[in-house]
Amino acid sequence: MSTTIDTSSTRAGAAEGRPRPDGPSVRQRKPGGRDLVAALPWVAPAVLLIFAIVLFPAGFMFYNSTRDISISGLDQGSVGFDNYVEVFTFPYFWPIFLRTIVWVVAVVGVTVVISLGLAQILNKAFPGRRIVRLAVIIPWAASVVMTTMVVYYGLEPYFGIINTFLVDVGLIQTPEGYGWTRNPETAFAWSIVIAIFVSLPFTTYTILAGLQTVPADVLEAAKMDGAGPARTYFGVVLPQLRGALSVAVLINIINVFNSLPILKIMTGSIPGYDADTIMTMIFKYIQNQHKVDVASALSVVAFLIVIVIVAVYVKVVKPMREV
Amino acid sequence: MKKSLRLSAAVALAATASLTLASCGFGGGGSGGDDASGTTLDLLVPSYSDNTQGLWEDVIAGFEEENPDIKVNLEVQSWDNLESVITTKIQGGEAPDIYNGGPFAGFASDGLLYAAEEVTSPETFSDFQDSFIANAEVDGTAFALPLIASARALFVNNALLEQAGVAAPPTTWDELLDAATKVSALGGGVAGYGMPLGSEEAQAEAAVWLWGGGGTFGDADAITVDDPSNLPGAEQIKKMIDAGATQADAGSTDRSPLMDIFVQGKIGMQVGLPPTVGQIEENNPELDYSIVPIPTQDGSPFTLGVMDQLMAFQNDGDKQDAITKFFDYYYSADVYVPWVQAEGFLPVTKSGAEELSDEEALAPFLEVLPDAQFYPSTNPKWQATDGAFKALFGQLQTKPAQEVLTEIQAQVDAS
Amino acid sequence: MAVTAPAFETIAPPAASARRRRYTEDQVPVGRLLLRMLAGLIVLVVFILPYTIMFFGSVKTKAQIRSVDPTYFPTEWHWENYVNMWSTPETPLVQNLISTIVISVFATLLVLAVALPAAYYTARFRFPGRMVFLFLVIVTQMLQPAVLTSGLFRQFVAFGIIDTWAAMILVNAAFNLSFAVWIMHSFFAGVPKEVDEAAQIDGAGRLTVLFRINLPLVWPGIVTAIVFTFVACWNEFAASLVILSTAGNQPLSVALTKFVGQYETSWHYVFGVSIVAIIPVVVLFMIIEKRLVGGLTAGSVK
Repeated sequence: MSTTIDTSSTRAGAAEGRPRPDGPSVRQRKPGGRDLVAALPWVAPAVLLIFAIVLFPAGFMFYNSTRDISISGLDQGSVGFDNYVEVFTFPYFWPIFLRTIVWVVAVVGVTVVISLGLAQILNKAFPGRRIVRLAVIIPWAASVVMTTMVVYYGLEPYFGIINTFLVDVGLIQTPEGYGWTRNPETAFAWSIVIAIFVSLPFTTYTILAGLQTVPADVLEAAKMDGAGPARTYFGVVLPQLRGALSVAVLINIINVFNSLPILKIMTGSIPGYDADTIMTMIFKYIQNQHKVDVASALSVVAFLIVIVIVAVYVKVVKPMREV
Repeated sequence: MKKSLRLSAAVALAATASLTLASCGFGGGGSGGDDASGTTLDLLVPSYSDNTQGLWEDVIAGFEEENPDIKVNLEVQSWDNLESVITTKIQGGEAPDIYNGGPFAGFASDGLLYAAEEVTSPETFSDFQDSFIANAEVDGTAFALPLIASARALFVNNALLEQAGVAAPPTTWDELLDAATKVSALGGGVAGYGMPLGSEEAQAEAAVWLWGGGGTFGDADAITVDDPSNLPGAEQIKKMIDAGATQADAGSTDRSPLMDIFVQGKIGMQVGLPPTVGQIEENNPELDYSIVPIPTQDGSPFTLGVMDQLMAFQNDGDKQDAITKFFDYYYSADVYVPWVQAEGFLPVTKSGAEELSDEEALAPFLEVLPDAQFYPSTNPKWQATDGAFKALFGQLQTKPAQEVLTEIQAQVDAS
Repeated sequence: MAVTAPAFETIAPPAASARRRRYTEDQVPVGRLLLRMLAGLIVLVVFILPYTIMFFGSVKTKAQIRSVDPTYFPTEWHWENYVNMWSTPETPLVQNLISTIVISVFATLLVLAVALPAAYYTARFRFPGRMVFLFLVIVTQMLQPAVLTSGLFRQFVAFGIIDTWAAMILVNAAFNLSFAVWIMHSFFAGVPKEVDEAAQIDGAGRLTVLFRINLPLVWPGIVTAIVFTFVACWNEFAASLVILSTAGNQPLSVALTKFVGQYETSWHYVFGVSIVAIIPVVVLFMIIEKRLVGGLTAGSVK
């Protein structure tokens, strides 16, 4: 077995076709109907499960987006694309759209940067590393709702321990603290902090796993060439992490875009639409305005937006090249 | 091929095994429907306090003992989740048989509800106080059964007012502004007036001020939030905020956490309701406070009355008798009075009011009840109005009053 | 690819000695070691802080939690909260815990049973619709749960399994399938096909190849998929809320909301239950962590 692994070639090879001694020749044969039949027993259960459970509710969402649904939930007939018109003519739609993009970019971007550093620390040997690694897992294990609740509670004026701390160290002059969760800008900023916090475990662990794949001899070779730690990291380690990172980023984009509970809790008491993203707006359509139909339409729009974002991302970054 | 078949068989087996285990071995209790022995009633209620689940369980246990052929399934949800659960159930054609909620006119106008008289005996129906039944009527027919009522009053921290040199609790807006400003000036995190305009219950604080200035939300036929009569109240709110007479960030402060602060003596005055008395009793019994009528523009008496309802959904048609039996049992004084008492609200039945008339904690609220004005809950658009106030009213802190009222009206009209 | 990484080299014999070698390599100066420990300590504190606040809240009384003069540490420790929360009138917490465990365990097993063969086959063989399949799988992750619940509710009424664990097992399995497929897929793709070929030449069947040869190599990938699926099922809320109406069937995530009253919330129980809910997942992780990163470490050093 060779010491350096040309991962891309083995993976490409692995997906080529049935294992045959004369690998390369398989590349010419196009997969046909017989291959599909052979594949069925392996993939059909998954397809079945998805179709049985997901298809109807997803289709129902599309269907509802063209219906007029009364406030109590009764379907009162088709309205064509009226619900979509309502979504796009809502005066706050574009600010909300932009805020959604800011939300995704800020959360995912900062998460990746911090995770890269965290993974470096966790990758180094030191006494107590196992405990630290376990601690990093906790935000993942805890429900996002509860993590957010606890921060929200800490940030409240009068009761909150974070506010008390800021008052005690003299950063805030008013004795009851500052209303972090009462103002759209600060509430949104704290939401970003929380979203980053709960995204770190998964991203860090993915990168940590990726770091293990950097071959030691490549690092040694870089050292022999006289490359400093910075150059080694950016020249050798980071390119090796590309695969790990690109999948982690893809999954984070989808999850962060779809994230509701953090903003719902942190900005929930704030009037108006100055801290909303598309997700909280969907929630407000359902919960506050009882417009399941418009909420469905906005959901369809959101769904299309994610697909476009993901498509662009895949096109540019090619995280699934091996797939 | 043969081998892959074997694998698929193994996978299928594993999948079905876990499914069968799940559905047969420990599937949960079935919902709804009639079993062989009799009728099943589904009851969906919100949680008023940590007593709620237990109180309903007691009611159900007593009822089932008297009616062994009827089974009642209880589902308690938090207020946050109640409405999304009921909407999902109605959309799925599985409405509960009995539902406890606020807005009901939307359900009634969709033809989903039994009329109150169809599901109560004449004795039970005639026991409801007339003013409450009137608030449950759509086009002259009551579609909901009053469950509990509350009236608002001003809770005053006597010690803080004294400290600030305010001689008597305020009765007019001017006095209130003056008193609150003085209390706020005490400093140390103390606020003069607790003004919760955050999404939790913005519509209530809105009613307190807009109606207190002679305004209205409208009636059964039309919602009129964008009405000149509402402007004085809205302007007065802004005046209070701008004068620093309220806590910080009034526009986005929710009611419950603010009341916790009042209970602990950091707020001079705040509008509360009957259960607030119990809260103070439990968390800070030493608080020196009094309960007085809500100050209005000209000092005339007024309070916001709120009523929650029970309603019965028309499912399959054959449960009407069972529902009637349940309501007749529930509203009998022996069952109903302890229930209302434990939740700390005002009773809606004549017999209940009689029994609780000498209850000291409720006295200040029963006193103002005759002057109570209610939300236009018989208007099918009330639910949308309620939502619009919650989502938008707090903007008063930063936006001009007229603009906020216009925006609320627009959202109601678009619903 | 991170998650894909290791499999290839794990077959190399020196893997076992790898850990030892790393540590000898890491004979770093004491100063640098201390620096690392300091960094580790900061990370530890930051990550534990919110949950410490949560824990402190869980041993306070209802009144202390809402005190306007908050203290950094609890002044009295009300450990009885952890006893009392199991028998509150609001929710049957023991049953809620059992529900959460049953739903999460069976959903995770179902995901494994369905995703594993699919991931293996799509990584190994070409067939028409392979990319469509992988795309279909990832699309399930892009849908909004809040809007899907009404359709799910309808569907399970039609299936006749509304308000059952079975319904939630199916929902959790279906919506978490994508992650499991993708992770395991990329791991399988990392195993060189020569491994399969060698085994097949030796006369092993495809099943044997999967279970005897491939599985041990992609173990870290399976573990990652298990953790992912389990954690997601454990904390699922939106669908459980509408599908499970009987209190005893509901998972902890829904049970928590029962402590929220109209005007008052039993925060001490909310925090206590949250702490209790974290523990099983952390324990699962402790058991699995060695496999996850340890397995990867073993594979990394050549």
